[in-house]
Amino acid sequence: MTRHFIFPKHALLLAAMATVVTACNGLFENIYYNQADDVKDFGFVAVDASTKSGTVYVDATSYQRWNYIDFHSLTTDTANIVMDEAGPSQWDIAIHRYDAKTNDAKVFRTEYASLSDVAALVDMPESTGVTDEWTTDVITVDMSHMMDGWLVYADSYYNRELSTWLDVDKSEMPPIYTMSDKVYIVQFGDGTKAALKLRNYMNDVGIKGFMTVDYVYPLDY
Amino acid sequence: MTMCIRLIIDCRCRIGSALLRCVVLLLSLLSVSAAVDADDGAKHSVGIVRPDSLEHDVDSVKADDMALDLDAVVVTGTLTPKPLKSVPVITRLITSADIRRSDATNIGDLLQSELPGIEFSYSMNQQTSLNMQGFGGNSVLFLVDGERLAGETLDNIDYARLNLDNVARVEIVKGAASSLYGSNAVGGVVNLISKIPDEPVAANVNARFGAYGSRRYGASLSVMKGRVGSVTNVQYKCVDSISLTDGNPDKGDYGKIYGHSIWNVKERLIYLLNDRLRFTGRAGYFFRQRNSQEAVKERYRDFAGGLKGNLDMSDGAKLEASYAFDQYDKSDYQVETRYDVRDYSNVQHNVTARYSKTLFGFATLTGGGDFMRDYLMSYQFADNGSKRQYVADGYIQADLGLSPNFDLLGGARYDYYSEASVSHVSSKLAFMHKMRRFTLRGSYAGGFRAPTLKEMYMNFNMANIFMIYGNPDLKSEMSHNFSLSGEYARHRYNFTLIGFFNMVDNRISTAWNTVLRGQQYVNMSRMNISGLEANAVMALPEGLGLRLSYSFTHEHIKKGAPMVSSTRPHTATIKVDCNRKFKNYGLYVALSGRILSSVTVDEFTSVTSYESTQRVTYPSYAMWKLIVNQSVWRGVSLNVTVDNLFNYRPEYYYSNSPSTTGTTLAVGLSIDIDKMVKRGLL
Repeated sequence: MTRHFIFPKHALLLAAMATVVTACNGLFENIYYNQADDVKDFGFVAVDASTKSGTVYVDATSYQRWNYIDFHSLTTDTANIVMDEAGPSQWDIAIHRYDAKTNDAKVFRTEYASLSDVAALVDMPESTGVTDEWTTDVITVDMSHMMDGWLVYADSYYNRELSTWLDVDKSEMPPIYTMSDKVYIVQFGDGTKAALKLRNYMNDVGIKGFMTVDYVYPLDY
Repeated sequence: MTMCIRLIIDCRCRIGSALLRCVVLLLSLLSVSAAVDADDGAKHSVGIVRPDSLEHDVDSVKADDMALDLDAVVVTGTLTPKPLKSVPVITRLITSADIRRSDATNIGDLLQSELPGIEFSYSMNQQTSLNMQGFGGNSVLFLVDGERLAGETLDNIDYARLNLDNVARVEIVKGAASSLYGSNAVGGVVNLISKIPDEPVAANVNARFGAYGSRRYGASLSVMKGRVGSVTNVQYKCVDSISLTDGNPDKGDYGKIYGHSIWNVKERLIYLLNDRLRFTGRAGYFFRQRNSQEAVKERYRDFAGGLKGNLDMSDGAKLEASYAFDQYDKSDYQVETRYDVRDYSNVQHNVTARYSKTLFGFATLTGGGDFMRDYLMSYQFADNGSKRQYVADGYIQADLGLSPNFDLLGGARYDYYSEASVSHVSSKLAFMHKMRRFTLRGSYAGGFRAPTLKEMYMNFNMANIFMIYGNPDLKSEMSHNFSLSGEYARHRYNFTLIGFFNMVDNRISTAWNTVLRGQQYVNMSRMNISGLEANAVMALPEGLGLRLSYSFTHEHIKKGAPMVSSTRPHTATIKVDCNRKFKNYGLYVALSGRILSSVTVDEFTSVTSYESTQRVTYPSYAMWKLIVNQSVWRGVSLNVTVDNLFNYRPEYYYSNSPSTTGTTLAVGLSIDIDKMVKRGLL
């Protein structure tokens, strides 16, 4: 009878000691996301041939790199800007941080928030489209001198319309990031069109510069 | 039915009449500079509820015709319960009635409305930042029932954790107090003391609704049955984002105040093993979500718990031992993936023991020690790493009542911080001399602040712009605080004048390091802060009260050096109130104001060079609040608050401007269910 009561006491004591020991560095770790459980690949991470849609995920954290995306071949590539590396021969759009450029394409920003709604359209929404422009003070390749009052830019083409997929308000620190939540139609040089929507500009653990773009390519119109 | 209508009409007439009378009295008070002291010779006859208790509600014993309840017991200045009038260390007391009547929604509102020389403003990323008479958030120690709080953001604790529900009182000791409290008690100590149940059953529900979708709901249940007591409190509050500049970037450093929501749950269990031994267990959960970004919600959590034993020994000595656990986490909730990613966790385990005994009827000796394990994981460390350290301390204090009119207090404390290899001794010497209605107090107090793990080991990439590096070779901040005060107290009047002088060495701050090409924590040169504080409190006939407080702070700057501090030199608080009680109705009307002077600051134009500055003047402002609190029936209280009464709106929103868009209205309702039940209404 006595043993019957001693056991729970010891069990409770052990449980209490175990709790204290395991709680040394804190409790409830499991309520948070464990990033070690999930490592993502880059490139065309999801492709649905039946709906001609998918997701492309690129690491655009580097200020010194263009990330090229080719919807025709469902491939991605990179080129270092500072080292003056040449990009791939075939590409459709490229991303540098949150900046975008196209391979001689026109970009239309729609009022639609759903890719499927845009894919279901019969005709292209009326718009003149926006082509790339040559810039010398947009593509930042070195931020380290900001505190000295100057930055290093690379001369480059830049598509102002597609780059509105993410607004970065730098009037406050830290900046306020707002995604446009709109679908963009990109009409390439060969006449084919892709519908694009920026789904996220961060990776799973919140590091900025990882761009997740949902797409439908080619559109039927 | 007829009776109900009569009752309502009767109440309305009574309310209207009382309200009118209060307003007239308030106006007359403002125009009359002198009033009759009806009973200046009266002794303080109020009783003290359980003077040996560290945690009782002093509100219930204060007489209405007293300027200050100088018999109210406080503990923070000496660690042993002592009436205000007998404490050699100047202690400011905010009672539960003050809290309730202030309609403060957070500790910042409360302290700013009750005390001069305190300013809560914003630092980067709209994080709350404290300035108390020249000292920042990491130099003012906040305690809850004497326990430290884990976690910080930009050198300030999370003030939103300090839930004002079920707080019996807030004690504020300005000036250094490291001889009792160790690190961080450089500029002062703010101690929130929780209520303990003193009735068999007490229950309260309350709600408050204000501008910008501001809502607060609270419920508490307190039970004391036999040897077991329990206090449970749940509070939820939220507010929408507040647009300040309508998107015009030329009108402010920031355009909107981020909306947020807060959950706060507290539980305390008390078990009286016998008449001498009491155990108190506690647990708490805090959750705050801030909606600063569309795609990411910033989350702040705290898990707290502890067990404390209090033993009253047969020889009159008191022994207290406790264990406290506090874990403060920060995480980013990714809306798209629904991942809640933790990037900061500060976990503190603290074991403490304290012994006090009164010898020969006049000497109270107090001694004790603490041992703490401090663990910090942070996104500001390389690879989101972690560090830990151990802290040990021991202290002793003697409080000598050498004569009925003279009290001398001396103490010293030794602190050891393992990671910084810091050993530091802090000391204190204070005296109090009473001369009839006049009391003179003087003190020297040492303060210190050990380098934190963050300051020693930070390795943080600031948005790819520059790095911020820690410095393992940092020395501790040290301060020497001298203060002298005079207090004149008559029954209805209380006047105090306090002068202080602080010398602060080795202040820890960041500076540009040309070799590292980044910011690095370093020790700065000495800074001296001096100032004056004056308080006048009057309790006048007809339930009228007046409190005036003024603070002057001067930071000594070497001739020719830039004035980089943004401490406002002049601040004042004013409160005129009227408290009327009838049989089934009570009315409290208060007009309170905060007046802050402008301050001109030389701000460096570059963080990489300290050669050029630009002069910025932060404008003065005054904020006024009108509070009408009606006890419409036993246990039922209705509160209406008009904030920013004179519709002040900054021309430009600086980080230290009030976050207001004009006059706002808030309505609150509080119901003490147990009191209603006692009246047989339920």
